[in-house]
Amino acid sequence: MSDTLSKLEAADFINRSFKPLPRSYGDALVEAALNDERVVCLTADLSPPTETDRFRDELPERFHNVGIAEANMIGIAGGMARSGEIPFVHSFCAFVTKRCFDQITMQAAYPNLPVKIVGFLPGVATLLGVSHQAIEDVAMMRSVPNMMVFESSGPQYHAAAVQLALQHDGPVYLRMKRPEKITDDPIVQLPLDYGKGKVQRNGTDLTIVAAGLEVVEALDAAEILTKEGIDAEVIDMHTIKPIDKELILQSASATGAMVTAENHNIIGGLGSAVAEVLTDAGIGLPFKRVGVQDQFCEGGTTPYLLKKFGLDSTAIASACRDVMKRKS
Amino acid sequence: MSSPENHNLKAYQQIATKLRLHVVNMVAPSGQGYVQQGLGAADIFTALYFAEANMDPANPTWADRDRIFLTTAHNTAIFYATLGERGFFDTNLLSTYVQDGSALEINSCERMGPFVEATCGSLGQGLSVALGCAMAAKRQGRTSRYYVILGDGEMQEGQIWEAAMLAGAKGLDNLCLIVDYNFVQSEGPMDLVMSLEPLNDKMQSFGFHVQDVDGNDIGALLDALAEAREVKGQPSFIKANTLMGKGVTSLEGLMFHQLRFPKEVADSARAELEAKLAS
Repeated sequence: MSDTLSKLEAADFINRSFKPLPRSYGDALVEAALNDERVVCLTADLSPPTETDRFRDELPERFHNVGIAEANMIGIAGGMARSGEIPFVHSFCAFVTKRCFDQITMQAAYPNLPVKIVGFLPGVATLLGVSHQAIEDVAMMRSVPNMMVFESSGPQYHAAAVQLALQHDGPVYLRMKRPEKITDDPIVQLPLDYGKGKVQRNGTDLTIVAAGLEVVEALDAAEILTKEGIDAEVIDMHTIKPIDKELILQSASATGAMVTAENHNIIGGLGSAVAEVLTDAGIGLPFKRVGVQDQFCEGGTTPYLLKKFGLDSTAIASACRDVMKRKS
Repeated sequence: MSSPENHNLKAYQQIATKLRLHVVNMVAPSGQGYVQQGLGAADIFTALYFAEANMDPANPTWADRDRIFLTTAHNTAIFYATLGERGFFDTNLLSTYVQDGSALEINSCERMGPFVEATCGSLGQGLSVALGCAMAAKRQGRTSRYYVILGDGEMQEGQIWEAAMLAGAKGLDNLCLIVDYNFVQSEGPMDLVMSLEPLNDKMQSFGFHVQDVDGNDIGALLDALAEAREVKGQPSFIKANTLMGKGVTSLEGLMFHQLRFPKEVADSARAELEAKLAS
């Protein structure tokens, strides 16, 4: 068997096959920790996938891998926060919210402690399937008193997300997504304002309010619609709670039609939050929610899943055409 | 089913090699999947599915079947290879592993069929479900047995210990836990993260009948499973010490939780396993 490799050769091939992805969030967290002694980092055995490996290596005395034990991790973070620290706790969105929801409510939110809950793998966007998909997390976390919820629309806002988390002196849920590809250009970090949505594209015919990876899909949908003479405004609602009521109401009155787009179940997430703002203000207008249509999903590549579950730019454009018809 | 005295060990070892070859062929095209764990656990899967468990692939919902819960649901290459070779579905399906639209997902999910006894990708949940089945079986007077393949890292989840405590307190002798003790979790060696040791003492104190075996020795596994079957009034715990990458010389003992499986490494592994099968 002359064609079989030695162990050393195999290990070498394997080591060389690992290509590190950008670590915008992880770098920003290390920076924040260097600026603030109180910041500590916890993970439940998922450092590289939550970009916390640099923190682990550079600030080991402030880093705790508590093992595969998320509920315990939240309780520990509560204790640390009661002791003057600002713990950032990390896992996948599904595990850092759903698995330990009661612990979050009682040991972080009720005592209004600065526990920063950071989840990766938002919504459907993972190969890892239904167990690792979080399509309920925004609804759950948004319903918790004292808890703020932020979802940034790309790695260029990851440093800003860390700052938003620190700006609220209480519990926060950051819903994060790692870039899936290695980019040649460095990612330039852009600022975000606390409680203020960001208009990513101005338009006059209708408004798309999107969050997370749906912002890019919404911008693509706006391009598709331009060719049909429809001019869509796109709002990046990275601040799901507190939500930017002013911007929603102002844009709704300017365009007269609204579509929401979220990488989440259509029940309880961004679409619901926007509808609540409109309803509370007594505004009725053509409105449609793009999101997972109240069904469990499956694992797959992100483009495949966005298409299959009606979350891609085509689906958003189609929802926009629908509200435009109802508008006229 | 099989009794330890008539193990056809050579045939079982041949099956395990075939399963390992499937693992290599399934993971190689995409680099997605768990090679090292699959190779390491091939002997446990062979012993359980091909010798120990009483099941009927033609009738996977048979109420009196023995049930096997794979709670390390990410170890799917070996799991699907086993199900395919055991006749639960056509082995041609294995080539769709981790492809968009295929039910052969990286984490096993019950949408595949009833032979996925529960959807366990969120770690630490499967033992409780097995416990519920075992308790129901006792009440219904069924003689079927309930096997759980646990990961070692997974035992850090608190729910495992809640379930283990109840299994011991209830003396559920129809329940058998097998921990695939390969000593590696996502971040690296277990003792670097959080050690489970002394694991056997812990399980014994929770009321389990404890055995410690070489998880890559099919004969030893079959003996342990047979002994577990004879235990009355206590659940069983088998610590199956496995070696990551077992059966492929260049991969044995390499402690990678996840690897992309470069072509050179996959080709070498395939060549070695094919030669072993032909000999």
